[in-house]
Amino acid sequence: MKKVLIVDDQPNIRWMIHLALRKIFVLEEAGSADAAYVCIKHGRPDALVLDVLMPGSMNGFQLCERLKRDPEFAGIHIVLLTACGQVADQELGRAVGANAYFLKPFSPMALAQHLAKVLLIRPEQGAL
Amino acid sequence: MNTQESQEMSATNERLSTAALAAVWESTPCGIAAIGSDGNVRAINPAFETCTGLASATVLGIGEADFDALLGTLQLERRRVETSAGGLRAVHYLRSAERRRTDNKALAGLSAALREPLASIYGFAELLLTQDYDEETRHSLATTVLEQAEAMSNVINDRLDTRQIEYAAAAQALTGSPQRAPVDHK
Repeated sequence: MKKVLIVDDQPNIRWMIHLALRKIFVLEEAGSADAAYVCIKHGRPDALVLDVLMPGSMNGFQLCERLKRDPEFAGIHIVLLTACGQVADQELGRAVGANAYFLKPFSPMALAQHLAKVLLIRPEQGAL
Repeated sequence: MNTQESQEMSATNERLSTAALAAVWESTPCGIAAIGSDGNVRAINPAFETCTGLASATVLGIGEADFDALLGTLQLERRRVETSAGGLRAVHYLRSAERRRTDNKALAGLSAALREPLASIYGFAELLLTQDYDEETRHSLATTVLEQAEAMSNVINDRLDTRQIEYAAAAQALTGSPQRAPVDHK
């Protein structure tokens, strides 16, 4: 099974995504970008569901940019998940190489369908 | 209530109203300039000087046409409201570009603060409606929806209603009549 890492500092959001994805993916969770980076170094996931605003030395944009610049991790499909609704935030998401951008509130089932389509049906990943 | 009591209450209300308007005039972040019935600038509030960088000596007493020309060179959001109250012809309200940026940032923060609990409400409600869970899980999901609705309510009470009150106070000071903040009925 494909592996998805859920990164959000809100346990409720992690649980919600977990419930939506648990039947089709192997799941890991992290509460910060820093913790996520450690997880990724230990075992590369196929996709990342990544919140933007989180405490720690990196936010979601910074982790995304860091991974996309690293040849080892650039192929990870990254879905940014954020409460930042301004156009500038979405442009920044595109600039750091995110593959998709889900604005909160979002449909967890739509997220599951997106990941299923990208990882299970059409593994070639399109850009944002 | 006899006539004397009624007059005293009326006078008290007028003093309170005047004091409240004076407080708003002094403290509102909105720059205000009052144009007298003679067409000249009669008064400006402290925020006007902050918004424009213009000293009161430069502005007070000049005609409205010169006032327009003076402000035309500045990067300001401006609105003119005609009035006949208090011997005035019009009131100009100004907001600096910096103030606008600050307001936009505050609104973006408010939007994010509302989106977080709304994401849980939306997401868990969708899961409850579309997926099969045991009774214990369903109860946990419903409890989370309720908790997040309360969190969202707190954000509205703490942050949004405060803005409504500030808006109403500023609007009343500017127009002389009580106003409600505009509500977007989508």
